[in-house]
Amino acid sequence: MHKIADIEIQHDIMLANRKLAKKNQKILDNANVFAVDFLGAIGSGKTSLIEKLIQEMDYPVAVIAGDVISKFDAGRFEKYNVPVIGLNTGKECHLDSHLVEHALHDLPLDEVDILFIENVGNLICPVDFDLGSHIRVVVISVSEGDDTVEKHPLIFKDADLVVINKVDIAAAVGADEDKMVEDVKKINPDVQVIKTSLKENKGLSEIIESLHKFMAE
Amino acid sequence: MHELSMADAIVKTVIEAAEKNDAIEVLEVTVELGQITLLNPEQLKFMLEVLSEDTIVSGAKFNMEEVPVEIECFSCGFKGKADTDELDHYVPIINCPECEERNLNITAGRECNVKNIKIEKSDEDAQDS
Repeated sequence: MHKIADIEIQHDIMLANRKLAKKNQKILDNANVFAVDFLGAIGSGKTSLIEKLIQEMDYPVAVIAGDVISKFDAGRFEKYNVPVIGLNTGKECHLDSHLVEHALHDLPLDEVDILFIENVGNLICPVDFDLGSHIRVVVISVSEGDDTVEKHPLIFKDADLVVINKVDIAAAVGADEDKMVEDVKKINPDVQVIKTSLKENKGLSEIIESLHKFMAE
Repeated sequence: MHELSMADAIVKTVIEAAEKNDAIEVLEVTVELGQITLLNPEQLKFMLEVLSEDTIVSGAKFNMEEVPVEIECFSCGFKGKADTDELDHYVPIINCPECEERNLNITAGRECNVKNIKIEKSDEDAQDS
């Protein structure tokens, strides 16, 4: 007769990532680096926004470019002569703290003030994985459809700043950008939502102003 | 879709606990999954079954327990279970049940915990323990 035993484990699978995220933030704080995690849909303009911010913000910047295959975005950032680490997630749909920790070790953090982290284009999976950044910016565009916010509430609940890009083509794709703003406000009433057309540099100064505010906090 | 990597972490946790407790077989594994954790319980269960093949966990029954969403409402101060309007959507929209506001802090419902396991020990180990 074999003995049957109940073993209490209570092991939080997400905890390992959260612990590493805290560690990452400590590394960043010790080096006085402000880190921004850019999340958002595929093709919404995350890379374009970071490119503009590198050019317009008067700070030494470093970038972590996360993607399934990261060399394409990393190559775009390298043109601005800033330190860039490309993180290939391979089959994974999000960056995690472990990958970011490795990148932090490889970046000259003492030489930069701001770190931009571009997450994998995905409105679902990155939500549960803090990276240790100081704020999360969610970038979507009107071309994903004006029901995008309603369909992915959690990512907007956790956002510190929301950017709705490509408003210049809203009419052409039949999207109501003001509805998208209202939908975000329903989920996260206090978050700032900025409508942009990065192609026309519209809304860019508001984003920079907002980032400055977060950095001062 | 990161059910595979999460399932891998769960199976590793279970194997470690089973070996530590001198199990010869794992009969049941109970996983607590928050209602708004962005993992699909059915997919996760399937991955768990696939990944446990040829391990001590092979053949175990996986119980998925849903952890309801709990909130702290910034508008009215309510603390407790949230109103989750599920509709046909996998991720419910979260409201305060008292004032229906959505300006709130989520205090539970985002978990992925290995809660407990039921194991079988051999006679010798059973006598030892």
